[in-house]
Amino acid sequence: MNISEKNINSYTILSLQGILNASSAPQLKTYIAGLPDAQSIVVDLENVEFLDSSGLGALVGIARRKKTSNAVIKLARMNERVKKVFEITQAYTLFDIYDDVSAAAEA
Amino acid sequence: MKKQIILFMNPIVTLTLQADLRYVRIASVTACNVAEIFADVACTAGNVAEFCHAYELSISEAFTNSVRYAEPSQPEKQITIRFSSDNSTLAASIIDTNPQFNPLTQAPDINSYPEGGYGLFLIHRLMDTVSYTRKDGTNMLTMTKRATIMHNA
Repeated sequence: MNISEKNINSYTILSLQGILNASSAPQLKTYIAGLPDAQSIVVDLENVEFLDSSGLGALVGIARRKKTSNAVIKLARMNERVKKVFEITQAYTLFDIYDDVSAAAEA
Repeated sequence: MKKQIILFMNPIVTLTLQADLRYVRIASVTACNVAEIFADVACTAGNVAEFCHAYELSISEAFTNSVRYAEPSQPEKQITIRFSSDNSTLAASIIDTNPQFNPLTQAPDINSYPEGGYGLFLIHRLMDTVSYTRKDGTNMLTMTKRATIMHNA
């Protein structure tokens, strides 16, 4: 999985590309652990081809840590395959979800 | 009833992999490919992509669980995935020698921000049937889904 980073307003935008599963989720956790706890982030999921519950669990764990740090994690541009995992597990209730990155970074 | 369904199914593909998370994508992509070939023949609803994603996701979950619950004393442990079918239903069995487990699972309490515990719950929601047997120290988790009747998860 490739992770690229940029900043918009006060948010760090992380664009993920590839597969987010048990094999790659540790890479995402490590990357985000390198950012300040109080840094709010937007995760752009447009180019995530596949996400399973290990990928979901990584994002949920990040959401929990951001909550305790009074920061936020927002998700943007989920495709239908990714959205399905969030819907079945009800995990969408834990995140602010946006159709585009700019709107996420402005809200 | 579930055993009868499985009994009359014809084997299609058998894949054996080392119990290592590096190989989870091989397992899930193979499941997607097998489901796509089967769905091209069996699907009447035209919802091939949804059928394939259900198998891709379910096998990813099952293989990951199998690796995570492997005995540390068995570093060379293998996991076998066996696909079989009849005219309308595709089945996949995940076979390993892990300790016995309870295949029934409830939805995790999402409000507690759980990082795990979703896998079997997802499989149950994506598949039509999920059955578990243990014999002679071997676990077999079998999932089936009809290609001709698509269920919304």
